[in-house]
Amino acid sequence: MRRPDITPLEAGMRLGPRRRPRASIGLTPLIDVVFILLIFFMLASSFLDWRTLRLDAAAAGGGGGMEGALLVGVSSDGLRLGARPATAEEVSARVTDLLAERPALRILLRPAPGTPLQATVDALDLLGGLGAKDVALAAPGGA
Amino acid sequence: MRLRRARRRTGGTGDEGVLPLINVVFLLLVFFMVAGRLTSADPFDIRPTRSTLEGPAPEDEPIVQVAADGRMALDGQPMQADALVDAVAARIAEGGVPKLRIKADAGTDTLALVALLTRLRAAGAAEARLMVEPGAE
Repeated sequence: MRRPDITPLEAGMRLGPRRRPRASIGLTPLIDVVFILLIFFMLASSFLDWRTLRLDAAAAGGGGGMEGALLVGVSSDGLRLGARPATAEEVSARVTDLLAERPALRILLRPAPGTPLQATVDALDLLGGLGAKDVALAAPGGA
Repeated sequence: MRLRRARRRTGGTGDEGVLPLINVVFLLLVFFMVAGRLTSADPFDIRPTRSTLEGPAPEDEPIVQVAADGRMALDGQPMQADALVDAVAARIAEGGVPKLRIKADAGTDTLALVALLTRLRAAGAAEARLMVEPGAE
């Protein structure tokens, strides 16, 4: 009579009594190696999904690239249009208007001293999101 | 009787109880091998800059790392700005690709980075791309 707690698979495996010594060879070293590999890949792999932005630095003091360009200043405490402080909405409205007239508008982004890169990239995001294609960073002394 | 049989079945080497564990560990191993990207570690801590613009994924160009306090490295080798510009110029003169990846900390002074970019451009690096992580801050 078959016992209910033995599945046919187990019963089948036990048909060959000489397989047992072979099956037990080196399972522990295998686990060791697999664990070490696992830990290596867990520590060494990175899941950050990097993207890249093109960074254009306008030639310092060249002047040629400045013709007709819109100058947007960025600092750690906000944006500037020309010389006066402006909110992101004002800059958006101005850039949208100018882009409607001239789609190839060149925008010079001039970071103030001490501006963290994140603030500059946020400004690049804002301008890029409005459809500006030609955004360059003004080099120090270039404006 | 039943107890004794069960003990005999698993008692030999204890292997049967470990097999599910090995299965799981193998699955994890394969997952990390396939899903993760092996990257060399940065020589200093770099907080990624975030951007909502969808740029292309970076390729295998030489990488310039810049920390928030202005320390720099080329392909993981820390060096001063002068040495870095020289090294980039030497590589490009030897026929290397005139492209760079820039991985800069979110708190890097932008003007310092622009100054470095200008020097790298003068050294022959025609295209420099800033590595960012997608998503708004």
